[in-house]
Amino acid sequence: MSKKAWALVALLVLIGSVALAACTGGTETVVEVTRIVSETVEPEPATVEVEVTRVIESTPETVEVTRVVEVEAQNPEEATRKGGWLDTIVIVQEADSNSAVARLEAGDMDMYADDIAGEAAIQAINSDNLQTRTQYGLFDELQFNIGTCQDETQLNPFTDAKIREAMNYAIDRDYVAQELYNGLAVPKYVTLAEASADRARFAPEIRALEAKYAYNMDTARELISAEMESMGATLEGDKWTFNGEPITLIFLIRNEDTRLLIGEYISTQLEELGFNVERVERTSSELSPIWNAGDPTLCEWHLYTGAWSQTAVDRGSEFAFEQYYTNRVLPWPLWALYSPPAELDDASLRIYNNDYSSIEERAELIRTALPLSMEYATRDWITSRTTVVPFRNEVSVTTDLAGGVSGSPLWSKTVRFADKVGGSMNIGLPSVFTEPYNPMGGSNWVFDQMILRGVGDQGIYTDPNTGLGVLGRIDHAEVVVQEGYPMSSQSDWVTLSFEPEVVVPDDAWAGWDAENQVFLTAADVYTETQTALLKSTAYYPDDFFSTVTWHDGSAYSVADFVMAMITQFDLADPASPYYDEALVPTRDQFLSSFKGVRIASTDPLVIETWSDGGNLDAENAISTWWPAATYDYSDAAWHNMALMLRGEADGSFAFTADKATANEIEQTNLISGPSLAALATELTAASEEGFIPYAPTLGQYVTAEDAATRYANLAEFARRYGHYYISTGPYFLSGVFPVEGQAVLSQYAAHPDLASRFSNFAAPATPVIEIDGPARVTIGEEAAFDIYVDVNDGPYPIDDIDAITYLVFDADGAMVAQGTAEAVEDGAWQAVLGPDVTSALVEGSNRLDVVVVSKLVAIPGLASYEFVTAP
Amino acid sequence: MATDVITGDFNNAEVDVESIEATARKARAQGIKRLLRYTLLKLVALVITVAIGVYITVIVANMGGAVDKIRMATIRETVALASTADPAFRQLTSTERIALINARVELEAKRYGLDRPFIIRSFEYLRDAMTLNLGFAQQLVSDSGSRLVRNIILERLPSTLVLFGTANLILFFVALYAGLSLSRRYGSWGDKIVLALAPTSAAPPWFYGIFLILIFAALLRLLPFGGMVGAPPPDNPFDYAMSLLQHMILPVAAWLLSAIFLTIYNWRTFFLIYASEDYVEMAKAKGLPDSMIERRYILRPTLPNIITSFALLLITLWTGAIITETVFNWPVIGQLYAQAIGAFDTPVIVANVVIYAYLLALTVFLLDFIYALVDPRVRVGEGGHKA
Repeated sequence: MSKKAWALVALLVLIGSVALAACTGGTETVVEVTRIVSETVEPEPATVEVEVTRVIESTPETVEVTRVVEVEAQNPEEATRKGGWLDTIVIVQEADSNSAVARLEAGDMDMYADDIAGEAAIQAINSDNLQTRTQYGLFDELQFNIGTCQDETQLNPFTDAKIREAMNYAIDRDYVAQELYNGLAVPKYVTLAEASADRARFAPEIRALEAKYAYNMDTARELISAEMESMGATLEGDKWTFNGEPITLIFLIRNEDTRLLIGEYISTQLEELGFNVERVERTSSELSPIWNAGDPTLCEWHLYTGAWSQTAVDRGSEFAFEQYYTNRVLPWPLWALYSPPAELDDASLRIYNNDYSSIEERAELIRTALPLSMEYATRDWITSRTTVVPFRNEVSVTTDLAGGVSGSPLWSKTVRFADKVGGSMNIGLPSVFTEPYNPMGGSNWVFDQMILRGVGDQGIYTDPNTGLGVLGRIDHAEVVVQEGYPMSSQSDWVTLSFEPEVVVPDDAWAGWDAENQVFLTAADVYTETQTALLKSTAYYPDDFFSTVTWHDGSAYSVADFVMAMITQFDLADPASPYYDEALVPTRDQFLSSFKGVRIASTDPLVIETWSDGGNLDAENAISTWWPAATYDYSDAAWHNMALMLRGEADGSFAFTADKATANEIEQTNLISGPSLAALATELTAASEEGFIPYAPTLGQYVTAEDAATRYANLAEFARRYGHYYISTGPYFLSGVFPVEGQAVLSQYAAHPDLASRFSNFAAPATPVIEIDGPARVTIGEEAAFDIYVDVNDGPYPIDDIDAITYLVFDADGAMVAQGTAEAVEDGAWQAVLGPDVTSALVEGSNRLDVVVVSKLVAIPGLASYEFVTAP
Repeated sequence: MATDVITGDFNNAEVDVESIEATARKARAQGIKRLLRYTLLKLVALVITVAIGVYITVIVANMGGAVDKIRMATIRETVALASTADPAFRQLTSTERIALINARVELEAKRYGLDRPFIIRSFEYLRDAMTLNLGFAQQLVSDSGSRLVRNIILERLPSTLVLFGTANLILFFVALYAGLSLSRRYGSWGDKIVLALAPTSAAPPWFYGIFLILIFAALLRLLPFGGMVGAPPPDNPFDYAMSLLQHMILPVAAWLLSAIFLTIYNWRTFFLIYASEDYVEMAKAKGLPDSMIERRYILRPTLPNIITSFALLLITLWTGAIITETVFNWPVIGQLYAQAIGAFDTPVIVANVVIYAYLLALTVFLLDFIYALVDPRVRVGEGGHKA
C-alpha cells in the first residue's frame, strides 16, 4: 500500500473486496453493514499508521477483516514553511526541446520551462510520466502588401480590401491547426488575443464572425473573381492575367517553423484561385528587410507569413486594432499605407486612448471594430499556437496562460514537488545567463527574467489566468479616478472612487534637479496646478520594514524606494554624473504619463502617485514603486545600486550596451564577468568612505550606520556566493555557473510569506463543457438543452461563472439567435430555445454553440451541439 | 658549400686556421642571411595571406554590406515591438510614439556603427583583426556576461581543449599505433576488421552521440545526457573533476567511434608504403626486432608527416564541432561560431577566423624548421629542399 493512500481509500477498497467475497457465497440477499471497530493512530513525524478492523455483517455470513494501512499525515512544514517550497532549484541549460523531453522522461530533469511545440510537444503530451500546461501567445497571420505598384503594368490584388477579406474564406484554419500543427494550435479569425479578457467578453461576437468567415473556397473564388475583374484583370484559362501577363504573387514564407507549411498550403490555395505564386522561403532576418523596411509600392512582395507574440494575459486590447490596422503605432513603410475606414479608425483610436465613459460604450466600440477589421483586413489571422510547458507528474507549478512558466511571476512561489516539502528540483531552460544582469539596462531575455522573477518579489503580482493584479508586498490600495473614466475594481484590497478632478498637490515630487540632486516639486515644475487622470495610493503593511529583508540580510528601507524613484529621472539627465543617452527615450516615455509622487508616510510606508496612465482595472492602475518593478530590468537595493553608480561614474562599466559600446567598456553585470572585480573595488571604497549616493536626497533616509551595515552585509554575501545580485524573493541566487550553464537558487528562509501563499493559483480553472439535449427539434416548439460545466473533475461553481452564452446557427451557417443560459445549480445550466427561435430555423442540421466565460480564467470555454429540425 | 683551404704537403700540413674560420664565418653569415631572408619573405607572404583571408571573411560575413540592411530592419522591428510592449508607450501621441521609436532606432544603429559606410568599417575590422585588437562583440556576450571578444573566446577555450583535446589526442595516438601495427600485419584479421569498419566513419560524431545518449543515458541511465558537469556543479575540485570526466565519456566515445576506424585505416595505408621499402625488408632480413624496425625504419622517415598531422590536429581544435557540442550540450567554441554567424556578429566571426589563420600560419611557418630538424634531407631556405 502506498504511503500516499488515505485510510478512507483503504476502507472503500476493503468494502469492495469484501462485497466481492460475499457475492461469491451465492446467497440470495446480502445486507452489508460496515462498522469501524477500532482505530488507532500513532502519530509520526511524516506518517501515521492506522489500524482498521472492520466487521462486515451480512446475511447469511459475516466476514471479519483486519488491515494495517499507512497514510501520510500532513507535514507540519506544509502549514509553516516560509519562502519557497523547495530547498534548491537548479536551472540547467538545455537548448534542444526533444532532448529536454527525453531528460524529463528519464527523471534527469523535473521541468522544462520553455514552451515547446512540434514532435517534442506531442511526445510530452502522450507521456505517462509527464504533464503539460498549455500556453497561448503566438499568432500566425497572412500579412498583405496593400501598396499600389509604382509600375502601372503590375497589379497588386491586395490593394483591394474585399480581396483581402475574401482570402479569409480561402484558408481552412481547422486544417492548419489540426494537420499542419498536429492539433497544437487553434483557429484564429479576429485580432483579439486568445489569452485576453476581451476574448471572453466578446466571445459570442467572435463566434459569430468565425461562423461567417468559415472556410469556403467557392465563396472565396466568387468574391475574388468579381473584384479582380473590376480591377481590370482577366481570367485566361484558369490563370488571372493583367495587361496580358499572368499575375504572379511573391509570397515571403518564413522557413524556420510551421509557417513554411502554412505558406506552402496558402500558395496552393492561391494557385487554385488562379494566381501564379513565387514562393520565397527564407529566414526572419533575410525577409525582414523586404517586408519590414522595403517600399511596399515597389511590389517586391505581396504576402508574408507573419507572427506576433503575447507575453502576458491582455486585460485591455488597446493595441488590438490600433497596432494592426492603423498607421499610428508602428513607423514602418507598410503601416504608413494603412488607411482604415473612418468608423474603424475612430473606434480603434478611442479604444486605444480609453476614450469612452463606460464599459458599455467601450463594448460598443469593440463590437464596431471587430467586423470592420475583418473587412479592412490588412492581415488575415490564421492560428493561435498552443505550445506546452512539460513537467514531471510529481511537479506542481503555476503557469501563465500567455507566458507559460518562464513568463509567470508566480512560478517560484508555487513550484514544488506535490508530495513533499523541500527537495531539489532541476529545471531546464534553453539558455542561462544570456546577458548581463543590471537594473537599468541589463538582460531582458525571458529566461534571464525567469530567474530574476524567481528570486524576486513584487508589490502587485498579476493573476496568471486573468491578468488582473493580485496582492504582493503591499497591504492594500486606493485609486481615485476622474469621473467618467470607465475603471472598475473586482478585488476587496482596492478601494476605487471617482472625483470630478484629481489634483496634483504642490508638494508632490514631479521632477529632478540633477545638479543639486534633489527632487523638484509640482510647484517647481508646473506653472499652474496640474490635474491627473488618477491618483493611486499604495499602503505597505505596518510590519513591512521589520519583516522584509534583502538576501544579504539588510532590512528593507524607504531609501530603496527613493533610490528607484531618483534613477527614473537622473540617469537620463545630461547634468548627472551617471548620464546615459540611451536612457533618455525611456525617461521620456515614463514622463509622458507621470504627474507626481509623494511619500505620505514613511512607516508604515504609504506612497501616493498621480498619473495619466489609465487602465480599465483599478488593480492594474496602482503604482507601488516597488524597486523591482520600477527598474526596468532587475531588482536592486540602494546599496548595490550605489556600487553600480560609482562604477558608472568612473568609467569602469556602464548600465546599457549602448554606453558600454560607445566608451569601449564592459556592461555592468552583478553576477559574473569582469564587473565583479570592479564592484568589489567599489564596495571597498564605498564602505571606507561611507558613500551615500545622491546624498542631498537619499541622505535623509540613510544614516552612516545604515550604510556601514549594508555594505558589510553585501561584502559578506559576495564573499559567500561570489556575486552582488540581491533581491527579496523566496529564493536567492546562491550559485552562478555561467560556463557550465547552471544557476542555483536556494530557499530564503527569512522570507516573510508562507510558502503556501499562492497555492490557489496552481492550475487554470479552464471550464470543461458538455451539452445534452434533443437530437431532433420540431420547428416552432420550445427546445431545452442542458449544459454541464466542470472544472478539475467537479462542478463549476455558479459564482465563478461570468456568463454562459449560446448561439444558434442554421443549416446554412447563419446565426439566427443568441441568448444567455440560465443557471440551474453548480455545474449545470440550461439553454432554452423558444418557439420564436426554432421557428426561424429551416429543416436540416443546425448547431448550438455554447460559450462559457469564467471569472477565473481569461480563455472562454467553447462547445457545440448538432441537432436536426423538422416540421 | 664551404671551401677547404689546405696548404703544404699532407705530412707536414699547415692548416690556415684563420682562413678556414673566415670561410666558415662567411658561410654562417650567408646561411643566416639566407635564413633571415627566407624567414622574412615567408612571414610577409603568410601575413599577406592572412590579411586577404580575413578581409574576405569580413566581406562574406557582412554579405558585402547587405547585413547592414538586415540589421537595420531587425533593429526597427525589435525597437518598435519593445516600445509597444511598454504600457507608458500608450500615453504618447502618434507623433511622439513614432519620434520615440525613431530615436531608439537611431541609438541602436549608432551602436552597431550603421551610421558609417560599410566599406570604411570593413577596413577597420581588418585593421583590428590583424593587430589582434579583438575589441567588443556587437551582440554576443561571454558566458560570464563580458562583451570583450577576447573574453568570449577565452571562456570557451578550456572546455574546448578538455573535450576535443582529449578526444583528438586519444584518436591520434591510438590510430597511429594501431595503423603502424597493422601495416606490419597486412591481411591479418585485425586489418580486415578495420578495413570493414572504415566506412562507419561516414556518419558524423553527433550521429553516434544520439545513439549513445539514447542507450547509456535514456535507457540504461548510466551516464549523463549532456552538459559539462552534474547539476549543481560540485564544490570540491576532485568531485568536479570526476563529474567532468563522467560527462566526457559519451562525447569522447562518439568522437572516437566516428573517426577511429577510418583514421587507423589511413595511417595503416600510409605506413604500408614505407613498411614495404627495401631498407625495411633488409632490416627484417638482418633479424632486427619488430619494434626497432617500426621505430627506426618506418616511423623516422615518416616523422615530418606525423608532425604535420599532429600540428594541424592541434589547431583544428579551434574550430570545434558545432553539432556534436549541441547534442551533448557542451559549452565549446564551435557553438560560439554558429551563434556569431547567426547573429552577424562580425567582431566575433573575424576574431575566430584571424586567430585560426594566425595559428595556421604560425604552424606552417614552424613546420618548415621542424622538418629540417627531424629530417636531415630537408634544408631551410634557398639552396635547400623546400619543405
